Amino acid sequence: MNKRESLYLRYASNDLIKNKGVNTALIVILVLSAFLMATGAMVMERLIGSVDQLFDEAQPPHFLQMHKGDYDPDALERFAAEHPEIDAWLVEEMLGFDGAAIAWDRPETDESGDLADSLIDNLFVTQNREFDFLIDESGAIPEPSRGEVYVPVAYKQQFELRAGDELQVKTDSGTLDLRVEGFVRDSQMASSLSSATRFLISEDDFEELERSGGGAPEIIVEYLLTDAALIPDFQRAYESDESLPKNGQAVTYQMIRIINAFSDGLVAVALVFLSLLLIAIALLNARFVIRGKLEDEVREIGAMKAIGLPDKSIARLYLAKYSVMTLLACIVGGLLAVVATNLLTRGVQVNYAEAPVGAATVLVPVIGLALVYLFVIAICRRVLGRVRKIQVVNAMVHGSTLSDRQTARRAKRQARRVRRSGLASFRGRSVNGRLALLDIRADARQWILIPVVFFLVAVLITLPMNLLSTFESPRFVTYMGAPESDIRADLQFSEHVDRLRTEVLSDMREDDRLTDVRAFSNLLYEIEGEEGLETLRVEVGDYSGDTVEYLRGEPPESGQIALSVLNADKYGVSTGEEITVSLGGEATPVVVSGVYQDVTSGGHTAKMQGEVATDAAGYVIYADTVDGTDAAAVADDYGERFPAAAVIPMREYVQQTLSYVTGAFLSAAVLSLIFGIGVAVLITSLFLKLRLTSERRKMGTMSAIGFSTGEIITQVRLKTLVAVAVGTLAGVVFAATAGESLVGAFISLAGLGIADLSFIPNPLLVYAAYPLILIAAGYLGAVTLTAGLRGADKSSWLRG
Amino acid sequence: MTQADHVTLESRDLTKTYYSTDPPTQVLNGIDLSVREGEFLVVMGASGSGKSTLLYSVSGMDRPTGGSVLLEGRDLTSLSDKEASRVRLTTMGFVFQQAFFLNNLNIRDNILLPALKAAPKEKDAAIARVDALLERFGIAHVKQHGITQVSGGQLQRASICRALACEPSVLFADEPTGALNSSMSAEVMDALTDVHRAGTTVVMVTHDPACAARGDRVIYLRDGLLVDTRELGTWSEDEAGRREDDLFAWLRKKGF
Repeated sequence: MNKRESLYLRYASNDLIKNKGVNTALIVILVLSAFLMATGAMVMERLIGSVDQLFDEAQPPHFLQMHKGDYDPDALERFAAEHPEIDAWLVEEMLGFDGAAIAWDRPETDESGDLADSLIDNLFVTQNREFDFLIDESGAIPEPSRGEVYVPVAYKQQFELRAGDELQVKTDSGTLDLRVEGFVRDSQMASSLSSATRFLISEDDFEELERSGGGAPEIIVEYLLTDAALIPDFQRAYESDESLPKNGQAVTYQMIRIINAFSDGLVAVALVFLSLLLIAIALLNARFVIRGKLEDEVREIGAMKAIGLPDKSIARLYLAKYSVMTLLACIVGGLLAVVATNLLTRGVQVNYAEAPVGAATVLVPVIGLALVYLFVIAICRRVLGRVRKIQVVNAMVHGSTLSDRQTARRAKRQARRVRRSGLASFRGRSVNGRLALLDIRADARQWILIPVVFFLVAVLITLPMNLLSTFESPRFVTYMGAPESDIRADLQFSEHVDRLRTEVLSDMREDDRLTDVRAFSNLLYEIEGEEGLETLRVEVGDYSGDTVEYLRGEPPESGQIALSVLNADKYGVSTGEEITVSLGGEATPVVVSGVYQDVTSGGHTAKMQGEVATDAAGYVIYADTVDGTDAAAVADDYGERFPAAAVIPMREYVQQTLSYVTGAFLSAAVLSLIFGIGVAVLITSLFLKLRLTSERRKMGTMSAIGFSTGEIITQVRLKTLVAVAVGTLAGVVFAATAGESLVGAFISLAGLGIADLSFIPNPLLVYAAYPLILIAAGYLGAVTLTAGLRGADKSSWLRG
Repeated sequence: MTQADHVTLESRDLTKTYYSTDPPTQVLNGIDLSVREGEFLVVMGASGSGKSTLLYSVSGMDRPTGGSVLLEGRDLTSLSDKEASRVRLTTMGFVFQQAFFLNNLNIRDNILLPALKAAPKEKDAAIARVDALLERFGIAHVKQHGITQVSGGQLQRASICRALACEPSVLFADEPTGALNSSMSAEVMDALTDVHRAGTTVVMVTHDPACAARGDRVIYLRDGLLVDTRELGTWSEDEAGRREDDLFAWLRKKGF
């Protein structure tokens, strides 16, 4: 290090020590920015790494189609023979068991339980031979022997299962006993958003389970293609072939990836977003601090210029401090991010795979941090450009950072303003209030920092909370293409599904506890797509008095169809236009009556008026409970009477379906609230600390002419309160208006099936409690900072 | 006791120590001082002798470390900050070396501020009083001006107007001509003399013997101690030269 550099560093370290309070606050904000940026980058890198690793090991299919019931194996053979782009294909047979039919015990401790709390499908399978492997925790492809079972790794945590535990599967003809040999990761069904999970058993045990009965047989037809780019064409080809099995969901490789990345990826994106907001705040702050510093030390700067130090050297002297601070913040933030990332990705590592550590693991966060550093320094450099404009005489004689021209301009502005200041014409009684407002108007350029920061913080804390309350609201079902109701019964395809529908429906209609029972049938229509026939899932039922919210148009009447947003976009139709759909070869022209939002079935659904009681791919029954009836109890009752039907209260349905998304939003809401309030208090304190220093003479003057310290403090607090309240209210208004469109656009981009999101806020919380908390936090910062003014010698304020 | 002998402001064994320095600095070291009603008292001494500290301590701006300050027999050191502020507002006026004004108010509003604060209900009377002061000190034509639009002398006269806005019994001036050239200094000293003649007690800190010669009495501080006092009698323009020579001679003996 040469002498000049050591001089810069010495100056920087002396200044850091001298102005501890201001520098600490700035460092904290910089550390937070760096920490969030590095954490977001690392979580993304780890997540992608883990998913990639699992995909490498497990080789998921490029296209899969779920199906229940009979199918034609020859049709599949023929289809495979006709498509040379198929690299490999298989039909995986599965047996689905309800969680309540699977019990476990631990012989050595006599602990036991069952998996009834699991609300997703538990499917028993054997290991595949060519691809779509279930992988054990060491990354190997396990082959269970007779009597052994590999349990989904998510259940290891959820039910605290261990290798060696006994698992009993209740079948129609007794219990099959299995021993937990290990745990498996599942590339298809690893996501917490997945509605099913797979247990791995031996072929002998599978055959026995099949013989014993009690399980719901299901298949997945899976294809591995020679090129992933062929997936869309292949999917169209599959869907347009009527002879192939397809009454379940079709899933592509991209969808598996998106579903896997979405849940955890959302948190990472939120962290980066949070970091960008904080960087904006940190930069505003740095700008304010540097300008204050230049004004404080203008005489010294003038002296340095007078003795011939070049502007660049003077600027570098100041820049050294900010370089040291930002570098320090990046290092500390980066180290903290390593710890946080380990905590945040623990679940990901367990469910997917240990992501291999490579160059990207280090490079991605380092690049993120480097960007933070460069950005902050660039802005500091820009602000320090003012050093060049400082004139020696103005600096040393008048203590002004302004040039003659700037001084004249400012004087003119001030003169214009004071002519209107009108203390003489002021009608109110509160001189303190009047002075505070005049002050805030005159020094608006400085005070603007506080409203801007509080605006950002208000947006930051309000948006995730609004999203959370929207996704948690029972009214959110209207975004899910479902009517508002208290109970939902899902009857999935099985041999006896038509009979089940009749029974459940008649029982519900006769039940005094229920009203407004409506049944809908899921039919698989065909529709002419861009390149041939495609499957269209249509829910057929009575839509009169439908409570689904329509973006455009109305519910369908006879001869009409309503389409989900994604389908309307896909087929390029809008309300009033005609399309042709066909069922069993019979084509029917229908008019599009309306477009609604839907997040189920990948967002691609449709609704038609009518009643279909047979041969549907599944049925859904909605019912309302009469006042005073517990929906959960009714649902339990029906669940027991009809084990093959999934009957749940609507609120629970929404919670289950969106639990992971709402979980992510909850984390984001809590995190942003804590960070937001912390940053708000920090910035207010930092701002006031600097402001009080530069306002010492003004305070001394007021004290001399008879204002008590209490009154001076009141003025400062009032100014803070006004600035804080203006920013907060503007932020809340923005979040409720433009913020809604902003988030709506983001959600719509996510391809969830929601094109137009209207918040369903918790008004008391976000429009009353949150602003009050934020304003109180800002005010608390002002109270803490100004408390120190009491007991000071006022003459010291006058001495500067 | 005649009215001229009536003590309006008094300090007893006044001490002030700053503990922020290492070692602590004792700036005032047991000052006993009495200011007579209507007197023009001048405080002199070398830099760092404690002149300004004495002024801020007896005016209640700063709390002394020890001793007491009595204004019309009332102990200022025992008052709360709020009470002391009220006393400053209603019975004291201040003029500083630099004219400290609030830059977001015009000249008249700056002068009006203490009057409005003292009696918000009597605004019209306050405005009339302030306008009269502006006329009296020759700055009525700049009353709507901003503080950066007037000369240093005008600003300091505005300072005197503000100090008088609440008709104080004592006016404190800390180096009021320190930042002015000689003609502006004379303007300001004429104004202060005028105030004194009108019956206001004036306590002024200065290092300028020509200004000090305007006083009735000069006290001299050295290292926080009141070392000597010089009675000058009532000032008149005819005797200005003689008084200044006399004061110079006295100050030289003090090593000034």
